[in-house]
Amino acid sequence: METLGYLIDGFGVALAPHNLMFALMGAFLGTLIGALPGLGPANGVAILIPLAFTLGLAPETALIMLTAVYAGAMYGGRISSILLNIPGDEPAMMTCLDGYPMAQQGKAAEALAISAVASFIGSLVATIGLILLAPLLADFALTFGPAEYFALFLLAFATLGGITGKNPMKTVVAAAIGLMIATVGIDNTGVQRFTFGVLELYEGVDFIIAIVGLFAISELLFFIEERAGGGKEKMVVNKLKLSWADIRAILPSSLRGGVLGFIAGVLPGAGASLGSFIGYTLEKKVVGKKGYFGQGDPRGVAGPEAGNNGASSGALVPMLTLGVPGSGTTAVLLALLISLNITPGPLMFTQHADVVWGVIAALLIGNFLLLVLNIPLVGIFVKLLSVPPMYLLPVVTMIAFVGIYSISNTTFDLYFMVAFGVGGYVLRKLEIPLVPVILGLLLGPEMEKNLRHAMDISDGDWTILWDSGLAIGLWVFAGLGLILPYLIGPILRRRMTVATGTGNPEGD
Amino acid sequence: MTFNDRIFGVLMIVLAVAYGWGATQLPEPFGGSEAVGPETFPLLLSVVLALSSLYLIVRPDPDNAWPWSRTGIELVIAVVVLVLYAMLLQPLGFIISTALAVGTLCWRMGARPPRAYLVGAVSGLVVYLVFNFALDLALPLGLLSFLEVS
Repeated sequence: METLGYLIDGFGVALAPHNLMFALMGAFLGTLIGALPGLGPANGVAILIPLAFTLGLAPETALIMLTAVYAGAMYGGRISSILLNIPGDEPAMMTCLDGYPMAQQGKAAEALAISAVASFIGSLVATIGLILLAPLLADFALTFGPAEYFALFLLAFATLGGITGKNPMKTVVAAAIGLMIATVGIDNTGVQRFTFGVLELYEGVDFIIAIVGLFAISELLFFIEERAGGGKEKMVVNKLKLSWADIRAILPSSLRGGVLGFIAGVLPGAGASLGSFIGYTLEKKVVGKKGYFGQGDPRGVAGPEAGNNGASSGALVPMLTLGVPGSGTTAVLLALLISLNITPGPLMFTQHADVVWGVIAALLIGNFLLLVLNIPLVGIFVKLLSVPPMYLLPVVTMIAFVGIYSISNTTFDLYFMVAFGVGGYVLRKLEIPLVPVILGLLLGPEMEKNLRHAMDISDGDWTILWDSGLAIGLWVFAGLGLILPYLIGPILRRRMTVATGTGNPEGD
Repeated sequence: MTFNDRIFGVLMIVLAVAYGWGATQLPEPFGGSEAVGPETFPLLLSVVLALSSLYLIVRPDPDNAWPWSRTGIELVIAVVVLVLYAMLLQPLGFIISTALAVGTLCWRMGARPPRAYLVGAVSGLVVYLVFNFALDLALPLGLLSFLEVS
């Protein structure tokens, strides 16, 4: 009941006119970003964070806007999957399977509408899950001591590569690099570490700059290398003929997909790609021979879309309750919270209840907005898809420049951002994941602080780190997170590759 | 070919050693040493990085091709444009430097030069107007500062 009261307060925050306006703007921009091939939700949120700062938004407003961007980007990913057979981001891959055939059969509008409805249902299911589960998890997390937190951070790193990740050791390398960058600056005992006397480094490396550089600038460089896109065949979107019967037909698929997606999102290391994958496979199993999957079955659009959006809301659970993000985009959102001086974690639910519940309410509202935006306005997004990336990416890069510049009004940060972009490009080339680098930057100070507290309590006895049952459990899970990809990863990836018929199987 | 990971691994081990050595040189904090000093966490990290990099050297993944030749030059051009953009932002002002930077990037990515620079100029102008008038954030005008309305 307490939850309900908070939620009602949350709606009070989220329904404030300016918050509603920013949610709408975020939803629109997010859909746009998600729809453009190459720009995923993580990039989108990363580019818009500095903008949220420069607008001087209140914490809850900034968070509401960027959550809407996040949800919107997950919606938008499907547009290019269906119309161009190019997934806007990885989780939208499964939507290509039946979405594109539907478009080829002249049912593009139906496919888009079905995916919007399924996304809506998936998100709705997952948001309800979030409302029920998050407070419980936050209460549980209150029992964590510094040692447990230290182990929890390790767990976050270990599972970040995800079970579909390629080489878990590269995740470790990436995490170590990120944590090392985090040690630059003056530490809490007042000692200068690795600043080399450069004044700008005294306060450490600003992770917003690192994030924008790693995501936005490296994306530009990658695009130049690949020169993807250009003249794509434009799909004609027919007039929508969707009846209630059609929606009813996909309702079970969407509900199943949403629940599965939510679970995949909450579990560390699973994420939206897995959510949409199992959403699709389950549909195929449940419907069986009666379906015509791969040839434009609407249920093959609804299942993975609901799974994908369910997972993205699910990933907010560990982020909000434990301060440990379950995906790249939630890592970026975490960066936003930290830079707004809000430490995510169980205490946030008591200290910043208005923020948490405002965001959750905004997520619900955002989903309604997205549904309303997506069905009638889909034509606009389709038109915008035809903007050639060779104009778009330079403009996006420029916006990243403006955002970073207007945080501090110095050009030093811009050089830093470009350097991070080049570094990000090299790391991506080596298939070293960027998200652990960011997470290292974000969690480094907290991790060190918890280590310090734990050692203070035990008077320098290292065994305190695995002294409690809970801590041992976390260590075991962290170990599993590193070992499982070696065992399950290849099998899972092969299945996904076979299912989508994309990628290069020998590359695994 | 498995050179990428090996070379990167060696570089990272060098970094780990340098970083670890740097950590041991850190001064003792005011008030004497504690169980976890400023050097403890960095030392842990240097060990983790060294071990995981060693793994990359022993068990490297197959290489991704690097874009030598023309594409590589385009990449260098793009990075140079971005650095120049940062350098010229204040002296030339936001609108002119954006027109040049965005225009050059669009052009190098395959757009026809007149259109590329037009897109650059228009986007620079629009963003400038939005930031200065709608959002009340001053972007530098630089050479165009004579246009400033006080």
